Amino acid sequence: MTVTMEPSLGDVHAVVEEVWSSFLGAEDPILPLPTPMPMPPGGWSAAITVSGGWDAQVTVQLTDPGAVHVTSTMLMCSEEDCTDEDLRDALGELVNMVGGNIKSLMAGAAVLSLPLVGHGDISPGSHLLEVCRLDLTWRGEPVVVTVHTPPPPAVA
Amino acid sequence: MKILVVDDSRVMRQIVIRTLRQSGHAGHDIVEAENGREGLEAVQREAPDLVLSDWNMPEMSGIDFLTTLRASGGTVPFGFVTSEGSAAMRAQAEAAGAAFLIAKPFTPEAFDEALGTVLGAST
Repeated sequence: MTVTMEPSLGDVHAVVEEVWSSFLGAEDPILPLPTPMPMPPGGWSAAITVSGGWDAQVTVQLTDPGAVHVTSTMLMCSEEDCTDEDLRDALGELVNMVGGNIKSLMAGAAVLSLPLVGHGDISPGSHLLEVCRLDLTWRGEPVVVTVHTPPPPAVA
Repeated sequence: MKILVVDDSRVMRQIVIRTLRQSGHAGHDIVEAENGREGLEAVQREAPDLVLSDWNMPEMSGIDFLTTLRASGGTVPFGFVTSEGSAAMRAQAEAAGAAFLIAKPFTPEAFDEALGTVLGAST
């Protein structure tokens, strides 16, 4: 049986806050954006899928400066030293932690994919619906976290 | 003491090694591997005293790494450091022979608590 339950906004927010405070500095919290704004063109996207008892795609979007801030903080290196390979690695771990912890909140046995990271937008499959969206800001840069799931089965 | 850190992410290996230091476990020899298959080779080659492994990796997952290791008679203490800390995964890890599972994101305190029994028993 497929579980179609979706995570609450509060649960997803708590997961993101814990990941950020643990690995990106509690003194520099990630905060809700008072007024959601569209992500500027470009930027980085990191996505991971959950499949099994609960199916979903979890995506984290960052601006170019935001992605570099994340990478340099996780690697404890200067921003000038961050390569694209470093960004893919760091952002992949970021979405792996966010996605893995959200998966742990959901009922049903499921499997986490390896992360997919790219420069630009990683659109989820057209069959998926956005069920959760967090518009956040960290170090003055917008951060968007979304959860997409398949639509619930039609009721006969 | 020699600790093998297995994770496909270089960033996460660095964070794990940094957290080992922050949790009061500095001074150990650290060996790194990028997936379970390389981890198996590293266990044979390096004879570590402890393995810290990610679960979700390409080539060979952490649980397959542990299962293969135990099936071949390897008894080195093994702990997972993984983004999934559900009760089901903890039970699966324990059944396969893992000493502990540390869920990411972790703190130095969580590392110290998990490693304390394993390292304390062998030092």
